[in-house]
Amino acid sequence: MTSSILHTPYPIPQSLYIHIPFCKRKCNYCDFVSYAGKEELIDEYVEALCNEINSPPCQSETNPPPSLFKRGGKEGGEFSTIYFGGGTPTLLKPEHYERLLGFLKMIIIFKKETEISMESNPGTINLDYLKEIRSLGINRLSIGVQSFNDVHLKTLGRIHNSKEAVQAYKDARAAGFENMNLDLMYALPGQTLEEWRTDLRQALSLNPEHLSIYNLQVEENTPFWNIFKTYIPQTSYPLPNEETELAMYEFTIKTLTDAGYHHYEISNFAKPGFECKHNINYWKNGNYIGFGAAAHSHLNGKRWANPDSLEEYIGSGSVVRNVEHPTSIDSSRATDRQDSIFLGLRLLEGLPKAKFAGFEKEIGELMRDGLLEEKNSNYKLTRQGLFLGNLVFEKFV
Amino acid sequence: MKFMLSKIRNFSIIAHIDHGKSTLADRLLEYTHTVEKREMRAQVLDTMELERERGITIKAQAIRMEYKGHILNLIDTPGHVDFSYEVSRSLAACEGALLIVDATQGIEAQTLANANLARQNKLVIIPIINKVDLPAAEPERIKEEIEKVFGAKPAEILLASAKEGIGIPEILEAIIERIPPPQGEVDSPLQALIFDSHYDAFRGVIAYLRVFNGRIRAGLKIRLMGVGEEFEVQEVGTLKLGLVPKNELAAGEVGYLIAGIKEVKQCRVGDTVTDAKNPAPHPLAGYKPIKPMVFCGFYPLAGEDFENLKDAVAKLQLNDAALHFEPETSAALGFGLRCGFLGLLHLEIVQERLEREFNLNIIATAPNAIYKVNLHDKTHTYVDNPSLMPPQAKIESIEEPYLKLTLFTPAEFVGPVMDLAIEKRGTFVNMEYLDPKRVMLVFEIPLAEIISEFHDLLKSVTRGYASMDYELVGYRPADLVKMDILLNQEPVDALSVIVPREQAHYRGKRLVEKLKEAIPRQQFQIPVQASIGSKVVARENISAIRKDVLQKCYGGDITRKRKLLEKQKAGKRRMKMIGRVEVPQEAFLAVLRMGK
Repeated sequence: MTSSILHTPYPIPQSLYIHIPFCKRKCNYCDFVSYAGKEELIDEYVEALCNEINSPPCQSETNPPPSLFKRGGKEGGEFSTIYFGGGTPTLLKPEHYERLLGFLKMIIIFKKETEISMESNPGTINLDYLKEIRSLGINRLSIGVQSFNDVHLKTLGRIHNSKEAVQAYKDARAAGFENMNLDLMYALPGQTLEEWRTDLRQALSLNPEHLSIYNLQVEENTPFWNIFKTYIPQTSYPLPNEETELAMYEFTIKTLTDAGYHHYEISNFAKPGFECKHNINYWKNGNYIGFGAAAHSHLNGKRWANPDSLEEYIGSGSVVRNVEHPTSIDSSRATDRQDSIFLGLRLLEGLPKAKFAGFEKEIGELMRDGLLEEKNSNYKLTRQGLFLGNLVFEKFV
Repeated sequence: MKFMLSKIRNFSIIAHIDHGKSTLADRLLEYTHTVEKREMRAQVLDTMELERERGITIKAQAIRMEYKGHILNLIDTPGHVDFSYEVSRSLAACEGALLIVDATQGIEAQTLANANLARQNKLVIIPIINKVDLPAAEPERIKEEIEKVFGAKPAEILLASAKEGIGIPEILEAIIERIPPPQGEVDSPLQALIFDSHYDAFRGVIAYLRVFNGRIRAGLKIRLMGVGEEFEVQEVGTLKLGLVPKNELAAGEVGYLIAGIKEVKQCRVGDTVTDAKNPAPHPLAGYKPIKPMVFCGFYPLAGEDFENLKDAVAKLQLNDAALHFEPETSAALGFGLRCGFLGLLHLEIVQERLEREFNLNIIATAPNAIYKVNLHDKTHTYVDNPSLMPPQAKIESIEEPYLKLTLFTPAEFVGPVMDLAIEKRGTFVNMEYLDPKRVMLVFEIPLAEIISEFHDLLKSVTRGYASMDYELVGYRPADLVKMDILLNQEPVDALSVIVPREQAHYRGKRLVEKLKEAIPRQQFQIPVQASIGSKVVARENISAIRKDVLQKCYGGDITRKRKLLEKQKAGKRRMKMIGRVEVPQEAFLAVLRMGK
């Protein structure tokens, strides 16, 4: 079943993702795969990552590897983005990255314009650290600020305060980062519209190239779920109501657009030319390979994922991990096409009309309801559609 | 032959739900070696999957046991008030009944109702107090209740625990000693009572019958006196766990009949089988054609499923003579079926079977009673669908079906029960103390009130300690009006409801509130209105969704997002599009959930 992928010509993946599932502590809202208090496994984990990088996917005894990755650098694939995400990637030492990047350089070509991003937690970085990782070639830094309000930071369970976040930003600039993102969250427990305005203005005053702005989502299996989604919410800090949330989102769009940011995805804003190439590849349903525990890959219509468990991932040693891996997620052509649509519609430019073949009825209803519009031979979300994206996306699954 | 008759005992077991009827039946079958322990599925007689799940007997069956040179025919009875006519016909096939009373609970509504049916059929009743092994058992108190209510002598009351197998031989002895053998003349013209029937895909209808006079054998041409149809008998026999063919069944015996009958409609419970060439002068007493009491519309969620729905209901009807249906069209819901049922349980069972066994997604409209509408032109009509109520200007008067409602409750709840019954338009008839702690209350009350949430409310005001039973007493005039519901300014015929005029405003208000809770918010604001004629009596707005968008896209993990969207979409597939509004099944039940 997997050989078809291997024998079909396909575009070279655009992106590599490396997952770093370690945190000093779990935030109250977080349901990402990440573990607190397991830092003693970091060395082993980095070794396992190196092993995995060294035995690239789609390799098995019966099917020779395609020229996806080739050893020795010269023939390596041209990846346009690499992304270290977490967890808290900045819990690893610079030496770990030196080693990881060394392995990566053996299989792919690094160019000057290759976007190499790293997520960071303000509570884990200082100027020296930032200088070191910058010198290793990391050229885009994302800081998980979330809020500039210390009360809200505490509610969220973050390990840093507002002052540390500002300092981290300044240090990063001093270390030579010229492409920076701030992650912010709104609709926090007890947050007022005015508080959010203040947060956003403070973020703007730092003048980052990029802003990712999400509303808080209360996920199952998180402390917040137990607090907010039980029958009787156990809190005197209720989540803002829908009207407030909408006002926060509208304020965000207006403020950032007025300040010259390009609102290019539902939750993402960038100065022109600084749109995140790595994430755009996700939204265009492009090809990517993920390394590390819980990392997901998408290659020519097939998806698969590594095991969530750190121990299981480390224990698998250098076992070749490929689309035949038991945790492989089968994805048919039809679902891949649907994925392309609901992901692509997240981009404000929309996606080409030709991609919607077979969904004429749905398109008709969505246009009638004012959620979708046609522009430059694309279908794209209207302003209303932006707020009600899920009503649009569900039509295509 | 006389000798044979003297060795036969035909009996039933009657009880309130959960008092242990099925378990006792199992023990009797085991003890008489009719069924060996290893082939014993718990509660052999309840064969339908649904019956096992709900722990109630829906269809009656019979089984023949042999014990100490006697033939004991156990005729099982359905355990729910919806099927009381079937119960009475099963009892008519017997000479005696075991009356089971739970030692921890005492006499409940169906204990009394069933015992009354047994008395009407002149059966010998053997009272048995079951579950005496339980720590909470109060056999002495229950004995007093039985003495007081049924006039039984203390010495006649047996103590048992069906679960633990206590008292089983004594029960079998009592069946032989106390229940009289059947009477009947083998040489008289054939008279046999059909007390149950079911449809078998291979053999057609299998009728269960009790022969009162004469004999029946294969090849005989028979007539069903009530329905007036004739058939040729292919096979007769007795009943063990399966069918046991025999040459003939004679007066006094219980068994089955196969005669190429295609539908259970042709072979009604209560009908009399006779010899077509040498018919009995008159049928056995008590036959009446079953009339449905409760109606609702079934509509497929997907319009193209209508034919499948029709086929499925027709298949169920093969085996369910009480199920009525005819096609109807709703402006809001499209093509559907108006179905008639014996009661709410019957309705629920049919709905569940359609969904489970036929994989149909259906919307069921709120159940309603059938109304007699007298028109100014001196004609009258029966209305089984509220939306088809004639215009007010044509109506002289409306009559609705009334029930005699019998309630058993601990004395401390008499006040709340009384309030509830009166709130639901009941009129008080009688009250009697069974003992200082337990009270029987009798009301007359419209059927329409019972088929809404009466039972749930009764349980809630008595913390589950009350039981109820009812029987139809006839039509009574009532001041009723049709209330229409408008969603997004469009009338939805399938939500129309008949309400008492004096409560119209209150009910309209409650109804639109309930609809607001049941209908999920959509992209636009939806007004929900209740109107009588052209006058709006209540209104609520379902506000629009303002923001619903997944903001965070998790790394490369698309599958999670996808699952969320799929879940959201699956929820909507369970809804019916009415105009531009997506309406879930719960909305149709809102009219039943008015609260007290």
